[in-house]
Amino acid sequence: MILIEAGERSEKAHDAKVLFASQLAARGYAAGIDEATIPDGLDRNQKYEIAPLLVEMPEQTVRHLIIIGAETISDETLMLIRGYALDPSVQVAATGRFSDLQVLAASRAKIAYAIGREPTMIDIADINARPLMDASISPLLAVGGNARPVPARPQVFVFVPPEMIEEPMTLPILSAMDQLPGVALNLITTGKSKEQIRASRHGHLSVFGYTEMTTTAFAELADIVAFFGESIPGERMAALALDMMRAGKVVIDCTGSSAFVARGAPALRGPADLAALPNYLDHTVLINLAEIGKRAGDSPWLNGNSIERLEKALGLRPSLPAETPARRPMTVFVPTNGNGLGHAQRCSLIAAEMPARDDCVFAAFPSCVSMVESKGFACLPLVQRSDDHPEEYANDVLNYLRLRRAVRPGDRLVFDGGYVFDSIYRTIKEKRLSAAWIRRGLWLPGQMNPVSLDREKAFEAVIVPTEAFEELNTSTGYGRNTHHVGPVVQQLSDDGTDSEALRARLADRFKLKFDQLVVTMLGGGVAADRSAQLQTLCNLLERRDGCLHLIVVWPGSRVSPAVYGWKRSRPVQTKAALALAAAADLTVSAAGYNSFHEILYHGIPAIFVPQMAAYMDDQQRRAQAAADRGLAVSVLASEMLLLEREVTAFLDKGKAADIRKNLKSIALPAPGNAAAAALIGRLGHE
Amino acid sequence: MRRRQSLAYVIDPRFPGGTSSAVAQELRVTARKADVSIHAAASRMFSGTEIAPQLKDVLVDLGLTVNWNSRTIAADTVIIHNPSFLKFEKIWDVRIIARNLIVVAHENFLRPGEVEAFDVGRCLGLIDRASLSLAKTIAPISPHNRQGVTRWLASHGAGPWRIAAEDWFNICAFPIEPPVERPRDRRGRHSRPGFEKFPSLADMDLCFPDHAESNVILGGDTFLGGDTHRPHWSLHPFRAIDVAEFFGMIDFMVYFTAPTWRESFGRVLAEAIAAGKVVISDAGTAATFSDAVVAATPAEVDGIVAAFITDPASYRRHVRKAQSRLKDFAPDAFERMFERLVATGLGAAA
Repeated sequence: MILIEAGERSEKAHDAKVLFASQLAARGYAAGIDEATIPDGLDRNQKYEIAPLLVEMPEQTVRHLIIIGAETISDETLMLIRGYALDPSVQVAATGRFSDLQVLAASRAKIAYAIGREPTMIDIADINARPLMDASISPLLAVGGNARPVPARPQVFVFVPPEMIEEPMTLPILSAMDQLPGVALNLITTGKSKEQIRASRHGHLSVFGYTEMTTTAFAELADIVAFFGESIPGERMAALALDMMRAGKVVIDCTGSSAFVARGAPALRGPADLAALPNYLDHTVLINLAEIGKRAGDSPWLNGNSIERLEKALGLRPSLPAETPARRPMTVFVPTNGNGLGHAQRCSLIAAEMPARDDCVFAAFPSCVSMVESKGFACLPLVQRSDDHPEEYANDVLNYLRLRRAVRPGDRLVFDGGYVFDSIYRTIKEKRLSAAWIRRGLWLPGQMNPVSLDREKAFEAVIVPTEAFEELNTSTGYGRNTHHVGPVVQQLSDDGTDSEALRARLADRFKLKFDQLVVTMLGGGVAADRSAQLQTLCNLLERRDGCLHLIVVWPGSRVSPAVYGWKRSRPVQTKAALALAAAADLTVSAAGYNSFHEILYHGIPAIFVPQMAAYMDDQQRRAQAAADRGLAVSVLASEMLLLEREVTAFLDKGKAADIRKNLKSIALPAPGNAAAAALIGRLGHE
Repeated sequence: MRRRQSLAYVIDPRFPGGTSSAVAQELRVTARKADVSIHAAASRMFSGTEIAPQLKDVLVDLGLTVNWNSRTIAADTVIIHNPSFLKFEKIWDVRIIARNLIVVAHENFLRPGEVEAFDVGRCLGLIDRASLSLAKTIAPISPHNRQGVTRWLASHGAGPWRIAAEDWFNICAFPIEPPVERPRDRRGRHSRPGFEKFPSLADMDLCFPDHAESNVILGGDTFLGGDTHRPHWSLHPFRAIDVAEFFGMIDFMVYFTAPTWRESFGRVLAEAIAAGKVVISDAGTAATFSDAVVAATPAEVDGIVAAFITDPASYRRHVRKAQSRLKDFAPDAFERMFERLVATGLGAAA
């Protein structure tokens, strides 16, 4: 491992450490930063960015300590490195831009006194005579960037400084530019400016905060980058420009001071006026794209600004791809939100239809692990959010670390959920994954988070499993990447679980003779408390001789102790809830996507008690659609008396038979499981 | 009747520690032999600090005033103490005219491992360009310091510089205290708190173990605020207690530095010898004082201390012998050295 430290303790030095460590990591090195050195007050993006780099010292695998920006070295840094008491085998080097021999000698001496041996001193000026920036703390050398064929619709990234966003014509010009058919426009700016754009009528623009991804990830995404503003906008953007050039991509210098071109960098001198950029792109850049990139990549200046010289001076050798064990590309399903059961169930149904089923794995919350594994898929447990965590996204930072360790470029990621967590978004971008978002519809008004919709750009495909009834299919998008498939629904297998046999086994299991079976599936209790409805049902069914009432308890559910006191009501934790419902005379269920469609497609007479919570789908509309067609009954949670009446009607007055008859006669859309799997199978090929 | 020589000192009087102490002692001798003037160079190195107190006292005693930033300095002999004060200067706008220019090295030109300790070439170059003199001499202050000067000139070119034949040693005029009758395992060390003054923590543990009766560390500022917890160390910040009081708390002065740095002279060791203590240090640092300082490695300290405690007579013999060695660094010895060097300092024009 290469441990990165900086001479001084400042926000700028911290950013430089993160930048350099990230660059080394992109180059294939294990690079880290001592967690004891991270400053207070990091924002959310900074925390995600640094998380994979953090090291708790003492760390036995450290082989190199590199102190960047060593021309200024603080006592705090000296105390820190002295405290490491590094093994003599650890190589210590210091890089900096030393203005003269005395500055170098002084820095060298300070480090030597602190650690008790001489560091290797590397004057960046010796390596890089014409740097992009004079005062950078990081070595600022071209590191990453992979060349690729120029796509039909190149990705153009435009860095726009905050002061330019404030100008009245900037966003209208960018919005007009967004309509150019020949390029895909993306903006890079500060997080604050991004929020400002989101809140404006130009919120449809694709905007990235510049700390939202590593520079390497930006360089991978972009084909062209144009920089506006007065000069080079900091070390991070300078590193992006260098990586772009190294990958033979196009950098356009639109800065007021010709900052890139003046340094000798192989950038195009573009217009300083934003309004002129579209024509410049169209008539100068796009028609010469490949040749411009090639010339940039061949530049001697770039050669002098590339990392190889520093590697040679440090005695570093990047690890070759062959050093990591080979494996087949995987498809990783990541069902999240709530306790994730519904999402995990849906994903497992689609995964089961995948042609290369064995290459499908899951990453899911603990509540889903058992269910996923029971379907024959390996499952990486993720961490569920907790109020006990220091930040609401603390679990997601950990999930980010787990996911990025588990996947590799070339893998596919399939996300099923409503909110695209940072962990998902960053992993897709940074690992260059082909990704699909399974996004069922029927969101409550205002529920579709703007952040999530913004992150849709990370997905190659959005797969919308439709609802059984057309009026419920109000999808959030019909873009070219959005694909609608039939309802994803579980099919009950004919494996001997016929209803009569199952009922016999239940009678034996519970030592209770019954002629009526009622199954209740009111949810996990996470979204809403259903203990009152359960008690009502238990009380009602307790008085019915010959009745067995099974209360399906999902993993991770909160179950009231009171339900354990009844003779005829029994809580059961089962993976065969659908088989139980199919064998029942009546099912009382919430109207989640999976349960609802399973009930419809298996002709099960049911009373729906829809759950309504801020982050859930519109269960009430779904239940009502079935009720309107005479395919079920919908009872609101507050309608206890109606619930009693309907139960009686189903069990005693033939309503169950009527419903069953109606269900048999209705034509439902073909299930979309296989179609969804086919779409996922095509990821990365289109 | 011979004319009294004029002697101009060019110093940055704000040097803390050894350099100012040495110059202060030296002035008491040279002021008797010549007409002394003091020219202060206000370098960037000590910007914002004041004249070192030990120097201030001597200047008052001798009735000398400090000329700040003299543009022209002329004297028979000009002595520049510790040229490293120029290490941050780009230009030095001074003219020095002298028959004899002596640069007293003080700070080692080379650190262990032959690493240049500061931009020596810049400092000597500034002095050379600023001076017109018949002889330009670098005077080392100890055998180790001489080695560094010699090697540096050999590798970088001597130019106008020659090396003084004798060491321009620090005057050690400390009051001599007798050794204790029966030494105990009371160890200590005294230094400024910089990292260069301390060895690794592992070596500190060898020098100051928990089985010692006491371990007094004066100048241990860096250990006070850090994560190092050694309850058997009595840590005192630099200058927190009087040096005499400190010596009253120990019988053995155990003094090791970072392996990447070495004392150019080691006044602190001479002070401990004068205070009647057995002094243990690394061989390089001990060399200045011959066998007056016990040369050892940190791993050997325990054995050495135990041997002296077992044989108190040998402890007393060693201290007395070491104290007699201090006569080589007495004011009269310096006076003789000064006369020889200044008298023979004239050479070819440079």
